[in-house]
Amino acid sequence: MKRWLAAGTIAAYLSVMFYGVAAHALNYKPNSHPTMYFIVWDMFCGWSAFSNRTHVIGQGESGRFYQLSPAPWGEFTPFGDLGRQHYDPFANHTADMALNTLRYTQHEPIQQIYVVEEAWAKKFNLPDDLWNRRYPEPKQPYSYFHLRQVLAGNGREIRRNPNWFAWQTQQAVNDNPRLWAAARQEQPAWQMPSALAARDPGTVGLPQMQTTVLSATAQ
Amino acid sequence: MKSAKSMERFFFAEEVPCGLALARIVLPLVLLLVMVPRWFHARELFSSDGAAAPLAINYGIPDMVPVPNGTMAVAMTTLLVLTLITSSLGWCTRLSLVIATVLYVWLNLLDCLGTLTKYSVIASHGLFLLSLSNCGKIWSIDSVLKRRAAPPGTSLPRAFPAWPRRLMQIMVGLVYIGAAFTKMHTPAFFSGDQMRQWMITNVNYANPFGEYISFYPGVLVVSAYVTIVWEVLFLFTCWKGWGRILMISGGVTFHLGTTLLLGLYIFPAVCCCIYLAFIEERDIERLRGFVQRLSQRGNRLAGSLQSFARQIPMLVPAITPRQAGSIFAAVSLITVFSGIELEHQLDPFGTRRAEGAYQLVELDPIEVETKLQLSPRIRESDKFLSFDIGSQMLGDALVNHRDTFRHGDTLIAQCVLVPPHEDMYIHCDLHDADDNVIDQVGQVVERRTLRATYAFGMFGSLQPGTYFMVIRSGGQEITRRPFTLLDSR
Repeated sequence: MKRWLAAGTIAAYLSVMFYGVAAHALNYKPNSHPTMYFIVWDMFCGWSAFSNRTHVIGQGESGRFYQLSPAPWGEFTPFGDLGRQHYDPFANHTADMALNTLRYTQHEPIQQIYVVEEAWAKKFNLPDDLWNRRYPEPKQPYSYFHLRQVLAGNGREIRRNPNWFAWQTQQAVNDNPRLWAAARQEQPAWQMPSALAARDPGTVGLPQMQTTVLSATAQ
Repeated sequence: MKSAKSMERFFFAEEVPCGLALARIVLPLVLLLVMVPRWFHARELFSSDGAAAPLAINYGIPDMVPVPNGTMAVAMTTLLVLTLITSSLGWCTRLSLVIATVLYVWLNLLDCLGTLTKYSVIASHGLFLLSLSNCGKIWSIDSVLKRRAAPPGTSLPRAFPAWPRRLMQIMVGLVYIGAAFTKMHTPAFFSGDQMRQWMITNVNYANPFGEYISFYPGVLVVSAYVTIVWEVLFLFTCWKGWGRILMISGGVTFHLGTTLLLGLYIFPAVCCCIYLAFIEERDIERLRGFVQRLSQRGNRLAGSLQSFARQIPMLVPAITPRQAGSIFAAVSLITVFSGIELEHQLDPFGTRRAEGAYQLVELDPIEVETKLQLSPRIRESDKFLSFDIGSQMLGDALVNHRDTFRHGDTLIAQCVLVPPHEDMYIHCDLHDADDNVIDQVGQVVERRTLRATYAFGMFGSLQPGTYFMVIRSGGQEITRRPFTLLDSR
């Protein structure tokens, strides 16, 4: 009996593990469920040439602006010296962090919460001595700011924009008059998110649908 | 039939679980480095009274894992810390490991921003497999107590089926296969562009060596291919002989490399703990023999190591296994309640301070206005990562940087771009010392391309002297590199 139980455990464990590897290799629903995170080994799967930071700003009734993250009692830096809010690339949890700060602080009524993404070219992360060895030109870092999300004072989402990188990528693609003209000519009066939904029905949320419609109509 | 037998031998051969016992001792200690700092923030990270960030929300399943209230989250984190300690000591080992596994996975699922990462997933697999194993049967408080309680002359079983160890070995091999697939899906990995950018990313601990290496693309290209070959081979060659030695030492080197180049610490430590599953009884015997020989030759360190090992069992109090279980339950209760009280006293959100709750930090309105303005397009210069001149290519990368050329040489100029950029037309011009344009070459660089490479023949018609290679894009000069042209030898 014990041997059969062990054999069953071995078979089950290995099946699950091999499924994860195969799903990842063949890109067959690798993100279909949170449990897939435990069997898909996609470490360092993405990369970007721009560093990102997240600023969470509250605007009170008086029009004054307040820092909502990091909270005034200090921030938790999980993997180095960077606060936790900077590890939320999808801006799915920023509202909760902002509301948590509001819950435990004294403040005037807050009307709106802005989630702002800051980005700069990673080459400016190089220390000055290394920069001077590699680049003859002076180091002139520049930060881009991008409004990612607008929330009401109670955390209700009012507006969500694609992240800065996606927005810039879209601008780079749009920087082609012929392509733009063709897109405008072919664009239907209404663009439904059906194409997106058909690709992966499980992961399409309202924000993504809004983004799709917005980006289509914005042109 | 033969393969079925060898499969049975592979999974069910009986062995002393030395490797797993070592992993049981070390892995929880590594995880304590992660969980103890999080204990102070448990209410914020893991509870509905704070700002938990459940992973399932990212997948559109908000209620998959129950989010506890603040007190419960502190209790869970306290119990996790305790059971990691008791797992390492081997006190009520299986129960400790089961509790630690459940709580570790649960808490990780509640904070996908600051707790859950792939190393915590690997560690979760490790804890799970250890909880299935008999790793507490040796080198543990449990084993000492059982030996004492056994009637004189009885020998307790020390050998058990190998399958939990085998699963741990296969698990780490599959992790590497999966990592290899990830790299195969990422073309920029093979050109070194991806690693180059990670090395100058400040989201982990400081990595000055990585920043330095980031501008040697030849090293990155070669190491990319070596890494992927090692990752694919690991699962098939790590089992015995030279394969085992090469793969494990290669793995330790690789993970040490991630510390130096990327600033990772816990990830390599977790993986090296899993490697302990590859240690067999005969390795321990060899080590024992080595220490013994050293001790006999009068080596003091070896001698004290031996006597320390002999004294460890004496540190375990004289209690029965049953009493040990009751004490474990009592200690757990006392620790959890003490943890809850201590966290209450620490007042993590400062709501009970004498001066009242914290005030929000006010921001400069001009600074905020700047941040809320529409983001401009990327500056032309920010689309370029580097521009170098040299003469030797490896893959797509220019790997040597030169500032002196001779007649007859071919000068290769290469600029590396970063995404996102639109379809671009990039000029690479040759200027003389007086900044007169001698030669002009232009190239269309479509938006998915990250390198523009230009070759210039250093013909005899060019006078020896100082020249500049100048990169221009979007109607502006981006950067220039000087070089000296000498007569041919």
